[in-house]
Amino acid sequence: MRRPLQAALLALSGLGLLHTALFTDQFLRYVKEGMRPLLIASGVVLLALGLAEAWTSYREIRRTADGEHDENDDGHGEHDELGGHDGHGEHDTHGEHGGHGEHSTPRVAWLLFLPALSLLFYAPPALGSYTAAREATKVVSEQEEFEPLPATSPLPITLSDFTRRVQQDERQYIKGRTVLMTGFVTPADDGDGGWYLTRLMLSCCAADAQSVKVRIHGGEPPKADTWVSVTGSWHSGGGGSLGTDSAEVALDARTVKRIDRPSNGYTDSLPLTAP
Amino acid sequence: MQSTAERAEEAPPPLAGATRAWPRHWPLLLLGAALLPGAALFLFGRWAEAPAMQAWRTVALAVTVQAMPFLLLGTALSGAINAFVPASVFQRLLPKRPALAVPVAGAAGVVLPGCECASVPVANSLIGRGVTPAAAFAFLLSAPAVNPIVLTATAIAFPGDPAMVLARLLASLAAASVMGWLWLLLGKEEWLRPAVRHTGHRHGHSRWAEFRSGFQHDFLHAGGFLVVGAMAAATFNVAVPRSVLDTFADSPWLSVLFLAALAVVLAVCSEADAFVAASLSGFSPVARLTFMVVGPMVDLKLIALQAGTFGRAFAFRFSAATAVVAVLASALVGGILL
Repeated sequence: MRRPLQAALLALSGLGLLHTALFTDQFLRYVKEGMRPLLIASGVVLLALGLAEAWTSYREIRRTADGEHDENDDGHGEHDELGGHDGHGEHDTHGEHGGHGEHSTPRVAWLLFLPALSLLFYAPPALGSYTAAREATKVVSEQEEFEPLPATSPLPITLSDFTRRVQQDERQYIKGRTVLMTGFVTPADDGDGGWYLTRLMLSCCAADAQSVKVRIHGGEPPKADTWVSVTGSWHSGGGGSLGTDSAEVALDARTVKRIDRPSNGYTDSLPLTAP
Repeated sequence: MQSTAERAEEAPPPLAGATRAWPRHWPLLLLGAALLPGAALFLFGRWAEAPAMQAWRTVALAVTVQAMPFLLLGTALSGAINAFVPASVFQRLLPKRPALAVPVAGAAGVVLPGCECASVPVANSLIGRGVTPAAAFAFLLSAPAVNPIVLTATAIAFPGDPAMVLARLLASLAAASVMGWLWLLLGKEEWLRPAVRHTGHRHGHSRWAEFRSGFQHDFLHAGGFLVVGAMAAATFNVAVPRSVLDTFADSPWLSVLFLAALAVVLAVCSEADAFVAASLSGFSPVARLTFMVVGPMVDLKLIALQAGTFGRAFAFRFSAATAVVAVLASALVGGILL
């Protein structure tokens, strides 16, 4: 890979990271919030590397143009070697023979253009119902003691918390309560027109997304991947007794309203919007 | 080893080469930057908007973005070792006998806080600085699994189960040391690509310039292979639904082997794999331990990175042997502790 191209690749990668993490919050589609400082720092480093590369190769070209071309004339040496050996990267590095000249870059480095350009111009969307329908359901943590629920109605609650209340709370505080939950729509594949209110959660990046789902009964199923806010009460028709593992995590929907996708969709946070 | 094409390229006098150099590259570059996204949009069209394709792109990009800071850290560290640390430092720090140096280097993995992408370039620069390859490989394997960040994540993912953290630490150290000793016994230098690019600091050269060019070279090199690995991992991630897991959960031996294979194809970074392991609740603790021991040592993006750094002949033999050793180590340690 030629030097201006290397410089461009580094700078583009840096700009891609800065675009996704600093200028927008698109990085939340791929990784967790905590990665932001690391991504910004990486973007700055890559951009600086790219500019340094562009500057040194520019200076080198100026120097050779001025007729001062001489091996090791300025104690730098590196630049002259770069100039002399640069072409190797294209020719020597099939398969096993990388690293011939000191600065040959294997062809595989071209692939770095893909994530860089993708981040800048063609960022894929966050994972949605396609993944949620296929991935294993996240196991909600065990909880021994349950506090009585606040008297607010409808009661805003997370999908995980609702699952715990339905399947683990022996005192059945959730019984008869109207709750408010938000998430996106995943159609059920069992053919009777039902759907799941869904959230995806990450441990690290989108490669390890896990879902938490609540089956919604009643009403027309909205389009897949729409973000909705749902109110309703626990659906007792699924058999199984409330407060045990046999209870179906399901809701009889009273209202279903479209909402905007939250910027950080990969969390199971409390609904903020009033119904 | 210069082809005639290269000679031809180098042949023009400096003056002509210089005046041509910029106009020749920059239009190409601008054209590429302008055309590539458009062409991609046009060519992939609807196909790329299919849910499976979108999920694939998201996962591939996510693995790359997640690994990028750690890869940069690793390549910066390897560039710094190469340019600033004299070879004598390692000779003083490590025991003279390679058989002893292996476990010491394995335990030294504690100091590199990062995931597995960082350790490959660092191990490479250690070999370049005269560290015996066996010790460098022990470091390469143990560093992503035994550093404090990863162990803390494991403790958080398995609350109230400190035996799991201890088992992970011991099994990873054991597997890394065994692989180092195996290399001493059976390893052949010719499997490694003969590239000792890094010569360390040379007299009369600017250390900073050496650092920068080594850093840049390693990053471009390893970054390309990271993309290969990320795309392979995304393919498996999208093509193999996690629900097939349940089929294997019942048989103790099959489940261990199956989760080992899953760790290889999913390529989850070592800081997160504990949470994934914790979610595989249908499986035995030993199987989940295997997932966490194999994952940081062998996975698709690592194999791609190693193939790029050390050569294919090495990467495939080494990864296959490591997978076997890691499964045995976790079965043994897990059998005793869990």
